[in-house]
Amino acid sequence: METSNRELQAAEYLERHRIKELVSYLTSALLFFRPEKPREYLISLLERLRIAKVTGVAFPFFMDNSNIVAMFEMMDSSGRGTISFVQYKEALKTLGLCTEDGDLKDDGHIITLDKFKEEVNKRMKEIWSAF
Amino acid sequence: MDSTTAPHRIPPEMPQYGEENHIFELMQNMLEQLLIHQPEDPIPFMIQHLHKDNDNVPRIVILGPPASGKTTIAMWLCKHLNSSLLTLENLVLNEFSFTATKARRLYLQRKTIPSVLLVQLIQERLAEEDCIKRGWILDGIPETREQALRIQTLGITPRHVIVLSAPDTVLIERNLGKRIDPQTGEIYHTTFDWPPESEIQNHLMVPEDISELETAQKLLEYHRNIIRVIPSYPKILKVISADQPCVDVFYQALTYVQSNHRTNAPFTPRVLLLGPVGSGKSLQAALLAQKYRLVNVCCGQLLKEAVADRTTFGELVRPFFEKEMAVPDSLLMKVLSQRLNQQDCIQKGWVLHGVPRDLDQAHLLNSLGYNPNRVFFLNVPFDSIMERLTLRRIDPVTGERYHLMYKPPATMEIQARLLQNPKDAEEQVKLKVDLFYRNSADLEQLYGSAITVNGDQDPYTVFEYIESGIINPLPKKIP
Repeated sequence: METSNRELQAAEYLERHRIKELVSYLTSALLFFRPEKPREYLISLLERLRIAKVTGVAFPFFMDNSNIVAMFEMMDSSGRGTISFVQYKEALKTLGLCTEDGDLKDDGHIITLDKFKEEVNKRMKEIWSAF
Repeated sequence: MDSTTAPHRIPPEMPQYGEENHIFELMQNMLEQLLIHQPEDPIPFMIQHLHKDNDNVPRIVILGPPASGKTTIAMWLCKHLNSSLLTLENLVLNEFSFTATKARRLYLQRKTIPSVLLVQLIQERLAEEDCIKRGWILDGIPETREQALRIQTLGITPRHVIVLSAPDTVLIERNLGKRIDPQTGEIYHTTFDWPPESEIQNHLMVPEDISELETAQKLLEYHRNIIRVIPSYPKILKVISADQPCVDVFYQALTYVQSNHRTNAPFTPRVLLLGPVGSGKSLQAALLAQKYRLVNVCCGQLLKEAVADRTTFGELVRPFFEKEMAVPDSLLMKVLSQRLNQQDCIQKGWVLHGVPRDLDQAHLLNSLGYNPNRVFFLNVPFDSIMERLTLRRIDPVTGERYHLMYKPPATMEIQARLLQNPKDAEEQVKLKVDLFYRNSADLEQLYGSAITVNGDQDPYTVFEYIESGIINPLPKKIP
């Protein structure tokens, strides 16, 4: 079925403003915190985002530092301080920070906690700057 | 019904919260509006949309041939749902709009208004505060496919479309009796809908162009156009026969408009079947479990399994079984929790029957967090229950179960040696049924949104009723 012009336009709009990631973030926040009044909570989240974008204050990330460390430790079962490239890619996919095409290169170096943290933060910033 | 495809272990509070607050529908609506309007700045747009909070207001289109009663139904619905009515007349007679003045000139000269102008009028009107807050009902628009498509490109989508239909002869005859009250604009009829007050009767006017010829011409045009408008609204359309009393048409329209359409929200069914012994709960549960791959949790069965497997709980339960006493609630709940907490129950959903027997057990269930999202009461009259249970027999030689009426044994020889389970004796059954009915009133009150199903039919009909109760969203109560 050939996609019409408007459909392509809509898909491109979603990509440009990273709407999918935004909606995913909002839904996750809602289901995780389960506020009494979902609408008001959503409005407050969006307001914070808006202000953060305007003033350049740090974005309220869903996964903060301690979560990233915890995730790394879960994957690094033997406690060596490193994870394999495959695990690293899978983790990024789970977080929604890396598409299937895998624009990561396996440069033969092992992935340490710092590199993992740095990569996650970098990608998050990229996404949030589009809002 | 869709169980979540993710293999992650999602704590059950999340899907429960999602279902109760209709999170999926909320997000879907927001996304739809974003895609329709594609604002440059999505975040302020989303904030505005959430503030409006108008996901559930009525957005109705009523179509139908002349003399079908569209305007009457539309007006009644408006009053009932407290929404704004939009007809060609009141769009055109709007004094505050420049576009309306242009349209009015054409209308008063009895020329057809071009679709572009009409759709512009509609767009203006729908952007006003009262339509946004309280919903809108369009009466008789769109008339042609062109209008329907133009409205759609603007992003205006109704949620319910009602098409009234009646045979042409009925309509032509009905139109001859049409009368209008010039002050309120309400339509009356000489035979079907005569106003009781005599002052109204006196100043009713006969509208123009209701002669048979003119009605027939209008009908021709209507039929030509409607056939191409109907496919524009595939899943939200309902055809109601207008060849019945107004009140019936109105009630059908009202129930339809207040029902929600099936959503794509992920839904794990947690079904509770309640009913007296012999109402068919186990059978329905087995059918549901088989078709939708739910976990069939029968309370009595669970206890018997525990005793047979000699688990820790089983040892505690056994003395009660041996003395033929009812197992205490606390122990029962422990056995149930153990089963319902297992991963397959959480992920696939469950069908529970046999419990709760009374209000205390129900409260205990709730406090443990096992809230069913669909509750069904199977109603069977006492005589049917007696018939179903007291005629049950078992063949001691082959172990085959028979029923003297529904599944009689093949030969007289088998029938001679059939035995009856002492639990199926008349007095025992009567006792158990009475016990249920004593508690049923409380349970019905607790489970306010329960659906009552007539259990006195063949099993597959009952199954279909239960299925539709699970698949369709819960009906909204009329305020």
